[in-house]
Amino acid sequence: MASKIIASTVRRSLSPKLLPLIRPLSTAAAAAAAPAEPYDSSAGISMKGVKISGRPLYLDMQATSPVDPRVLDAMLPYFVSQYGNPHSRTHLYGWESDEAVEAARAQVASLINASPKEIVFTSGATECNNISVKGVMHFYKEKKKHVITTQTEHKCVLDSCRHLQQEGFDVTYLPVKSDGLIDLNDLRNSIRSDTGLVSVMAVNNEIGVIQPMEEIGEICKEFGVPFHTDAAQALGKIPVDVNKWNVSLMSLSGHKVYGPKGVGALYMRRRPRIRVEPQMNGGGQERGIRSGTVPTPLVVGMGAACEIAMKEMEYDGKRAVKLKDRLLNGIRDRLDGVVVNGSTERRYAGNLNLSFAYVEGESLLMGLKEVAVSSGSACTSASLEPSYVLRALGVDEDMAHTSIRFGIGRFTTEEEIDKAIELTVNQVEKLREMSPLYEMVKEGIDIKSIQWSQH
Amino acid sequence: MATAVPPPSRKQILSLFRSFFRSSRLFTDYNIREYRKCRTIDEFRHNKTLTNPSSVPAAFADGNYQLQVAKRQALVYHISRRKSKASWRLSIDWCLFMLLGFYDGLYIESEYCGLG
Repeated sequence: MASKIIASTVRRSLSPKLLPLIRPLSTAAAAAAAPAEPYDSSAGISMKGVKISGRPLYLDMQATSPVDPRVLDAMLPYFVSQYGNPHSRTHLYGWESDEAVEAARAQVASLINASPKEIVFTSGATECNNISVKGVMHFYKEKKKHVITTQTEHKCVLDSCRHLQQEGFDVTYLPVKSDGLIDLNDLRNSIRSDTGLVSVMAVNNEIGVIQPMEEIGEICKEFGVPFHTDAAQALGKIPVDVNKWNVSLMSLSGHKVYGPKGVGALYMRRRPRIRVEPQMNGGGQERGIRSGTVPTPLVVGMGAACEIAMKEMEYDGKRAVKLKDRLLNGIRDRLDGVVVNGSTERRYAGNLNLSFAYVEGESLLMGLKEVAVSSGSACTSASLEPSYVLRALGVDEDMAHTSIRFGIGRFTTEEEIDKAIELTVNQVEKLREMSPLYEMVKEGIDIKSIQWSQH
Repeated sequence: MATAVPPPSRKQILSLFRSFFRSSRLFTDYNIREYRKCRTIDEFRHNKTLTNPSSVPAAFADGNYQLQVAKRQALVYHISRRKSKASWRLSIDWCLFMLLGFYDGLYIESEYCGLG
């Protein structure tokens, strides 16, 4: 038995090309193996015209997070052997899947201090936001015509609100102060008698600012308006309590808490009951709110991720603060003109959004290919315009263009932070050296007072 | 039927710690490897301060369970690793995997291959 293991490992490692000949791939695997691997281990990786020596450091935890091995361990049996449909009521496969789904529901509920009966599994936070915004307003459309949200919300909430506007609803987009927080008096003044929903995200995905959730909850309770929050970035990172925050609806995402992608959960309060019109019609699964087979492995993964997050929240939080301080001080020690976007006090430490003055954004990002960071959010990075969140904060166009978002997570190490500091500082210094604007600033000329002549 | 679980001896705890450390070195992913190493040290250091006598065997049992999880996942990560290395770190060599995980490797193979 031991010699077989040695033989198989030797075979696998020394002669990768011989393996398909020794054990011919099945047709399905052959089709899957057909796409040519862009990886060449000796010469580095070349993809989309960029050549790097290996895989980059991952510092983009707000876009997504790697799956924790403990979560993967919980998921695998439901892919391999216990693959039943949880809605099959007649055999063991269905019963055990159903049991697993209910256990996962309890795990998710305990992280947000809710009851398992209030959790509905969906395909992600975007679907939850759609159900919350459009579903609630369509249900109460006879009496309620007004929605309040903020300018810094996630794209899916803003897009749902735009869709509602086209249908004839009124939407108020609350402005934010320069530190990213909303003004509570603005909120109080904009609530009308026909306001059907207030939607404010707990932790912003681009700037990491934590909104004053308890105060907003109190205001909504006072006026009797349902409060929806997109807590995708907050789950597992800051303590989330639906009763303290007085939320009626909460969107949760699996892949931001080191779980699998493709799963999310919607919290819907039962007392007082909030009703929604379902966006996915079908067999009435998930209490009629989201029909469709519940993906057992993904849901089990999300449950395991929530349980791990509950245990590790304090440890991860302390580490995130330590690493963020290391990163920020490391960069500030060697560079000037570095601005942190968003409030420095009410902020989640794992999200650091920096703007570098006198540097062009695209070229900075192009030079930072060995570090996986993002500028703006993943949703908006395809377009060339600067992020709307930074524009809402009142950041100048040129500073908004050079913003970089560093995401620190559970698996980030100090060595990675040091390497990221080195790469960023080198790139920024290189670009500033070439920049004539920076030379003028060094000589003492105030850039804003220059009258640029038109040719 | 409650049987009194004897508290683990110092030797058992040290052996668990060593196995944990060994299993963390088997992960092919740099981030998971480093996290597991630091977390093991911090967890054991924190559990050293546990005063409640019933929580020590519970923590030990949990530690054993986590060790099995880690061994299984180290194998999964090794099987599905990509060929390229981290751009600034070397990932673990297969010999090290063999040397360190040899006897455990037997156990892991039977865990997954022998289904049923």
